[in-house]
Amino acid sequence: MSLKIKALTKSLWVFHAATSPCNNCDIEILDVLTPRHDAERFGITLVGSVRHADVLLVTGVPNYKTKERLKKLYSQVSRPCLVVAIGNCACGRIMFKESYNSPCPVDEVVPVDLYVPGCPPKPEAMIAGIIKLINKVKGKEKK
Amino acid sequence: MHITESVKGKLSNKITDWYEHSPKRIYIKAKPQDIKSIASVLFKDLGFRFIIASGCDTPEGIEILYHFSYDRMGLILSIRVLLKDKKKPEIESIAKLFPAAEWIEREIWELLGINFIGHPKLEHLLLIDEWPKGDYPLRHDRNNKGL
Amino acid sequence: MLKTFLNYLFFPGFLFSACIGLFAGWVDRKVTARIQYRVGPPWYQNFIDIVKLSSKEIIIPEGAKLTFLLAPFFGLLSTILAATILGKSLSVNILGFTGDLIVILYLLVIPAIAMIIGASSSQNPLASIGASREIKLVLAYELPFILSIVAVIVKSGGSIQLGRILNHQINLCSNIFSVSGALAFIVALLCIQAKLGFVPFDASEAEQEIMAGTLIEYSGLPLAVFKLTKAILLYTLPIFLIVLFMGNDMSLLFIMGKYLLILVLIILIKNTNPRLRIDQALRFFWGPLTFLAMVALVLAFFGL
Repeated sequence: MSLKIKALTKSLWVFHAATSPCNNCDIEILDVLTPRHDAERFGITLVGSVRHADVLLVTGVPNYKTKERLKKLYSQVSRPCLVVAIGNCACGRIMFKESYNSPCPVDEVVPVDLYVPGCPPKPEAMIAGIIKLINKVKGKEKK
Repeated sequence: MHITESVKGKLSNKITDWYEHSPKRIYIKAKPQDIKSIASVLFKDLGFRFIIASGCDTPEGIEILYHFSYDRMGLILSIRVLLKDKKKPEIESIAKLFPAAEWIEREIWELLGINFIGHPKLEHLLLIDEWPKGDYPLRHDRNNKGL
Repeated sequence: MLKTFLNYLFFPGFLFSACIGLFAGWVDRKVTARIQYRVGPPWYQNFIDIVKLSSKEIIIPEGAKLTFLLAPFFGLLSTILAATILGKSLSVNILGFTGDLIVILYLLVIPAIAMIIGASSSQNPLASIGASREIKLVLAYELPFILSIVAVIVKSGGSIQLGRILNHQINLCSNIFSVSGALAFIVALLCIQAKLGFVPFDASEAEQEIMAGTLIEYSGLPLAVFKLTKAILLYTLPIFLIVLFMGNDMSLLFIMGKYLLILVLIILIKNTNPRLRIDQALRFFWGPLTFLAMVALVLAFFGL
């Protein structure tokens, strides 16, 4: 396994891209970064600028306005970059599928690497998802 | 209570119905032409504060509620106006009185189709600018589809 | 010539100071985590951060000229030079040249200027806000810092060579055990808190307000160089304070003990204070701290 992948999986810098969610998933993401479910022991920190990020955490259903912004955000991240869709709304739009203001789900705007369903997903579920993502990235290299 | 007596006294000829849901929550019905005078009486003379407005599509017509709050007592007063004409609903805008009402009237216009006469800038707030004219998403006779 | 070059690259230059600085950064993160009642990152976290950053893609904003890429390297090169000179002045037969104190002072301003130049060439309005805050901060803390160092110069009989200052302290007693020395030490400690960009003086890189301020457009290797510069400063500045104020006993054990003491003080101030607004920070540095530094200077003249 190359040093690049190994270093990437041990220090993931996270950027929070919220496309107008109801903010429940955002509060649960904040819970992962607080002392109870401490995410810094895995090397995960929250960064302020999108160019420093390795992982984009997308929440909410994209509407016509935020679809363009999400595309722009994804084009501004420095590669390699992973995208995680958190919450039922970002995974498959569940009850907002026939709404007047949601053109497409998240994975038709940006390529998603990990889906964490739940409304909102528990912090333990998010941590388990990050572990699966790390294993997937490492496994891809090993092949 | 003291403040409800003053409200009843000052607006007696404009109130068509008075419903007290609880001591701190009162609903008043009024005619659409009187809304500007009622709002200015409540704000300037009696010291109420404008919170927000809400719009609803009912079988009798489109209904707008204006919510006012009397902060000293925690009393919330809501004024219901009913616009019977669903093809071209119109009402006077209170945005000149309260700058706080500008954005909520824009939102009610773009989602329910009510024309606010005298509003300084009636443009799209939440929907994109290329939304087709005459298409109001929160009307009940519009089936739920996208653009 | 070759020996000097090897000194610059390995010991006490780049590799040595970078390792110690990154490790000290880990100590800071671990102690902060324990104070907040959680487990912190493992000991190799900062090293892995630098390795990961240097393997990411470098994005250059449209319209940015060559200074965008060169600015971080100037900061790094001057910081390594300051660390080398400082390390050489601590060696057994105390080497150095007259005026090396002034040279180190000049070299330690260059990282802040490199950050300002890098932020200004980023073509981003948020970065220019960060750059203006950083300029104001540099103007604020340089004044009391230099005044406190002048107090030390006066106490050591007017010599501006680090070796002579050390000798003076070895012969008499550490500068910190006198009234003027203690006051000057407090002023210098708060000034290096601002130089390192730690809370309460990190308004230029405020994450929640201006989205990483000065470093907003940097990615990949230049960002790693900026973080490395911060780490090397975390090694250089406390050693600088030890040489100036606590130079009595320079055996290895005592140097490590004093370094850990200053590190613990910095972390304590960092964890117990909120962030100051830039006008509050300016008023703080030019008001009480300058007054304290001048009192220390006057007391040093009278030999106290």
